[in-house]
Amino acid sequence: MQGLEVGLLLWRAQLQMFLNQTIRSGKPGRIAGTIIAAAVIVLAWAWEAFVTWLAIQAAHRVPVLFDDLHLLSLAFLAYTAVLVFSSLVFSFNALLLNPDLDLLLAAPRPVESILAGRMVVQVLRLFLLSLLFTAPALIVLAVANHNALIPFGFAALYLLYPVYVVVIISLLSLLLVRFIPVGRGREVLTLFGVVLALGINLLNFLLNPALRDSGFTRRSQAPSLPDIPVASAPWLPSGWAGRSADAILSGNWLSAIGWILPLLAASAAIFVVGTIISGRLYLAGWIQAVPPRRRQTGSARGRRLKGALPLIHPVLAAIVVKDWRMRTRDLAQLVRFAMPVAFLFIIFGLRFPRLLGSIRSLGEGPAAAMLGLIPAWVLLFSLSISLGLTAVSLEGPAIWVFAASPNTTLRLLQGKCWSTALPTTTVVALLAVIAEIFIRPGWLWAATAVLLAIAQAATLTILMVGIGAVFARFDWTDARRMLHPAAAFIGMASFGIVTGASALVLGISLALASATGFPEFTTWLAAVTVSIGGAIAVAALGVLVGNERLRGLELG
Amino acid sequence: MNFRLNPGPPLDWGAVLSARLLTKRYGSLTAVEDLDLEVSAGELFGFLGPNGAGKTTTIKMLVGLLRPTSGSARVAGIDITAEPERAKAKIGYVPDAATLYDKLSAREFLEFSGDLYHVEPRLRNRRIDALLKLFDLSERSNDFLSGYSRGMRQKVSLAAALLHDPQVLFLDEPTVGLDPQSARQMKDILQDFCKEGKTVFFSTHILEIAERMCTRLAIINRGRLVAMGSLQELRHMVGQDGQSLEQIFLELTGSREEDVSAVLRGLES
Repeated sequence: MQGLEVGLLLWRAQLQMFLNQTIRSGKPGRIAGTIIAAAVIVLAWAWEAFVTWLAIQAAHRVPVLFDDLHLLSLAFLAYTAVLVFSSLVFSFNALLLNPDLDLLLAAPRPVESILAGRMVVQVLRLFLLSLLFTAPALIVLAVANHNALIPFGFAALYLLYPVYVVVIISLLSLLLVRFIPVGRGREVLTLFGVVLALGINLLNFLLNPALRDSGFTRRSQAPSLPDIPVASAPWLPSGWAGRSADAILSGNWLSAIGWILPLLAASAAIFVVGTIISGRLYLAGWIQAVPPRRRQTGSARGRRLKGALPLIHPVLAAIVVKDWRMRTRDLAQLVRFAMPVAFLFIIFGLRFPRLLGSIRSLGEGPAAAMLGLIPAWVLLFSLSISLGLTAVSLEGPAIWVFAASPNTTLRLLQGKCWSTALPTTTVVALLAVIAEIFIRPGWLWAATAVLLAIAQAATLTILMVGIGAVFARFDWTDARRMLHPAAAFIGMASFGIVTGASALVLGISLALASATGFPEFTTWLAAVTVSIGGAIAVAALGVLVGNERLRGLELG
Repeated sequence: MNFRLNPGPPLDWGAVLSARLLTKRYGSLTAVEDLDLEVSAGELFGFLGPNGAGKTTTIKMLVGLLRPTSGSARVAGIDITAEPERAKAKIGYVPDAATLYDKLSAREFLEFSGDLYHVEPRLRNRRIDALLKLFDLSERSNDFLSGYSRGMRQKVSLAAALLHDPQVLFLDEPTVGLDPQSARQMKDILQDFCKEGKTVFFSTHILEIAERMCTRLAIINRGRLVAMGSLQELRHMVGQDGQSLEQIFLELTGSREEDVSAVLRGLES
């Protein structure tokens, strides 16, 4: 009971912090953001309710031959994967990153109650999230089935089902945390995120029937449920929850309660046992993390990199080298380089032969040359957004180091442009060259396409640096908070506008050539020049606006 | 212990730091109001005040991190608002609880700092070696700063602030987190620094340090300067010779001893 009490106390504190940061903040931007977020949720709810209602109407007209029990059990099994991941993140956060654990453990309460309180908070959070996502559908189902208790039945399942996962994962985290070196918690969490994201995408690519074909052809198979019989096994929690949910939907309350009971008993038992073991582990000193390894030598690579930048101002070179070190040494930052490449491999690499064949069939010319740039543009989009928009925010609370130095803010921005545009342009150019070599659209077309890719990589990344400077955040402690949502939105929109305008100019040049009889390559070259010039102008404007924002910056 | 980065003729011993009617307002809150200061070259100047009195805000205005709402400040004769880059080249700054780049080693951070302050690479590397040795950081100079204790970070910040051989050194609570040996070492370094004709301006809560080290002191309370001068001058100001700096400080900023006793009695009952 003490654990429940601590959990509710923590929950109340979190709610207060949330309200203080939003509605009670007194900042118009935050209040507006909260209202917009609430409006988006209401809209999403309305949409979900509408789609559910449509699905019910459709099911009345066309009988669907799905096994409800299997479907619901599968849903709970899939939900288990979400629970495992979110609980891992939550537990490691609580143990490694949140600074309040020592404060809580200093309180005159049993250690077990503090650890149990953490688990209660996590269960409550998952419960509310489940309701947030499914409440409209459940209400529509209740109305359609004339059974007002459906939402309440599911709410009980949402409350009970996460308990065993949260407890087991919390215990596992306590066991694992010993092997994570001090100060590497955030990176381990990032690694979990990366593995999960890549795993989901890879599985989706390999298993999703809609993605089995190349994408150019229509789907030949009717959709079917994945064949995982263990999901509805009567000895697994997903089977209990699935059966109970099925009984709730059909109004068979006796059966529903009958299948909830084992879930309740198992959850309670696991919670009690897990709490006791957690307390013992903690008191035994198990979670004392291992000290970090000592570094023996300085970074020779950094010195080599600096040696390779003799033509730029020493301050700019220093920023490039420093940012390179920060990005490559911190997994959370390194992911910003690596993830786009991994996703590109999943999206394009696994379908490479078929895509290559399709593009080659277009023959030599600008169309094939430009289609070959698609992977490079996808990469550019991802890198310019993730690196460019966060370039200035990367300084974080250490911005004082630069602010106190005898350098202008424009120099900082120039350094940031170099530190992001250099790697982005290099990688994009490399990918563009490789793609054009494979596609062989004619060397002149290929050369101009690569030139355009290089120019756009440099200018768009610089534009993102400028936008990032306007919305720079220096108060983050978690790398995920570096990027301001408004910067992300404006950055993506700007990327779309610049590349869209460029595509339009190139398209017009080809149309002009065919209409007037002008040599196609001449109009094409003019269009490429206009496109690059426009991008340079926009990037320069972005840097100027960003610089104005930084000039007004005060480090209070 | 002698600390000399740039042995040469002494600097001009005039006023190296001055502030006139320096004011900073955040909306309706006045953090610093009409602050007048003058600090001469070679002085070790202590800036004292209770929590929230405006010490950090003042220092941030003097080093160019905050723009004054009104008033002006000059460092080495250069207006910090009009010519911030020129003025900052003369300044070394160690903030309270300095945030450094966690994924850089101490040596790499100092290299970066030297480049920001336009120190020629060979001279920079020589100075880094000397400073790392001086602060007993040579052995761990290749470790990431994320593994450093607060005291070690403080030493790295001070080393970075000294690297470009500044004329005025600003330190915000420099002894917080330092062990007794390091605190003593820092005091020696600051005193040596001043002997070279350079100036140290530092804020502290530890009145004993201020009493022993500073040539002159200023006390700020609720954003206003309430006293400035040598310890002897401050004693005259409160009208009682022989008083400790702590007594002077409490008198000038308002003693709360009676309030504290009353509250503690209330807690007991």
